[in-house]
Amino acid sequence: MRGTKGRLFAEARVRGLKAKRILITGGASGIGAATAARFLEEGAAVCVLDRDSSARKKIAGELPSLAGVLDADVSNLKQVQAAFAEAIRLMGGVDVLVNNAGISLRHKFLDITPAEWDKVIAVNLTGVFYVAQTAARHMMERGSGVILQTASTNGIMGYPFYADYNATKAGVIELTKSMALELAPKVRVCAVAPGYVLTPMQRAEYTDEMLAEVNRKIPLRRHAQPEEIAALFAFLASDDAQNMTGHVYTCDGGETAGGLASR
Amino acid sequence: MPLQEKLAGRLSGKVAVITGAASGIGRATALLFSGEGASIVMVDVNADAGKRVEDEITQSGGQAFFEAIDVTSTADCRRLVERAIREFGCIDILFNNAGIIRRATVLDLPEAEWDRVMDVNVKSIYLLSREVIPHMQKAGGGTIINTASGWGLTGGAKAAVYCASKGAVVLLTKAMAIDHGPQNIRVNCICPGDTDTGMLRDEAQQLGEDSSHFLAESAKRPLGRVGTPEEIAQAALYLASDTSSFVTGAALVVDGGGLAGSI
Repeated sequence: MRGTKGRLFAEARVRGLKAKRILITGGASGIGAATAARFLEEGAAVCVLDRDSSARKKIAGELPSLAGVLDADVSNLKQVQAAFAEAIRLMGGVDVLVNNAGISLRHKFLDITPAEWDKVIAVNLTGVFYVAQTAARHMMERGSGVILQTASTNGIMGYPFYADYNATKAGVIELTKSMALELAPKVRVCAVAPGYVLTPMQRAEYTDEMLAEVNRKIPLRRHAQPEEIAALFAFLASDDAQNMTGHVYTCDGGETAGGLASR
Repeated sequence: MPLQEKLAGRLSGKVAVITGAASGIGRATALLFSGEGASIVMVDVNADAGKRVEDEITQSGGQAFFEAIDVTSTADCRRLVERAIREFGCIDILFNNAGIIRRATVLDLPEAEWDRVMDVNVKSIYLLSREVIPHMQKAGGGTIINTASGWGLTGGAKAAVYCASKGAVVLLTKAMAIDHGPQNIRVNCICPGDTDTGMLRDEAQQLGEDSSHFLAESAKRPLGRVGTPEEIAQAALYLASDTSSFVTGAALVVDGGGLAGSI
């Protein structure tokens, strides 16, 4: 048998996601939507939660097999609790949480207003906490579960113009580690750190020159497709990763390995 | 294995070189990769055990050959890669897994032992990668996986040269990821925590400790158990397959939360 050159490997699948019940926050667009599609392909039941009504409408049309499309602002505890109860009603429980909702604002550190700071913290850190604690209580009672949280390479290294966002993502990583220690061995908790991801929204913000300039700094010389981040979520949620908890896993094309991206 | 299942393998048609393949993590990975459809080139200093793994794979219908070579020998590495190319046509996956441990402080470690550990654990990666990478470049890409350790990220008692060697593996991995990313060669390492292999028993013996007591102590981590070779093999499969197509320069920790923090 000869190896084949240059083509993608056969459909990569992971073990043990069939019939698992997944809740994805920020699940109506970008990485969250790609992750919803991936888990559906793995045979799981999936609810997405998003506060963006037009994105919710779009994904409900694109992924008709979703178990539910829920409306909630993660920075509002009452809305989180109501949406989580609805996910349980629709799916019978939640086995895997992809705690993914987040926002970012591009601004200089000197220009960040207290209102902007509070807003970013409210969604990216307080919101992640609300959803994580709600899900963890449910999972600990049932005796098992997996919580995966979207951090970022911005939570690992410094980047200009996103000081508030970066601080929240570093916070998500430490929250992940501490949760993993307290919830083990019943519930595994991992963070995912995507690097540059090319969502349609991101592509629209780039000129061709900007895209080429950023790609030049990444060892793999390209952005991630949202589906590639979704694949990492699927792996970490699966039985293939049963001994993995308490760490942050990068998917960044080598951006944080050093060298080009950091100099 | 039925043909149909084989065709659906996650590494169908791929060729993998695995060092330290006669036992533990290397053996588990050879068996897993073969089951996923890859042709396997196995290397170990232990000829008898290596032959047995080869038989196990070929008797179940897999493609594999074993060579008892010394991975610290330039000539041996060259000869092995030539044979792999001759028999299988290319190398898609290189798993630099061979490793040894010496449990001693710098005061207790003979100079020859220092050199031996650094040669097997670090220099072998340089020697074999140097032979394999040109073939991957020609083929348009590939994936290299190195076995590092949790002790490549943090220090441990009476393990001076082992920690030094595994720390070197982590940064060698990142440096290679930067150099070879543009050629679509991904380079990652796995940082296993204590894993149920012969090496763990070897450590107990070196320290003059009772093996069952040593294993019980090793299990004191968030998930409450040591890892299995099969779990590390699953991590290697993730890094070998397109599930991780945007992951390079990463140190994938698989340790039951051992390094997540203090419990």
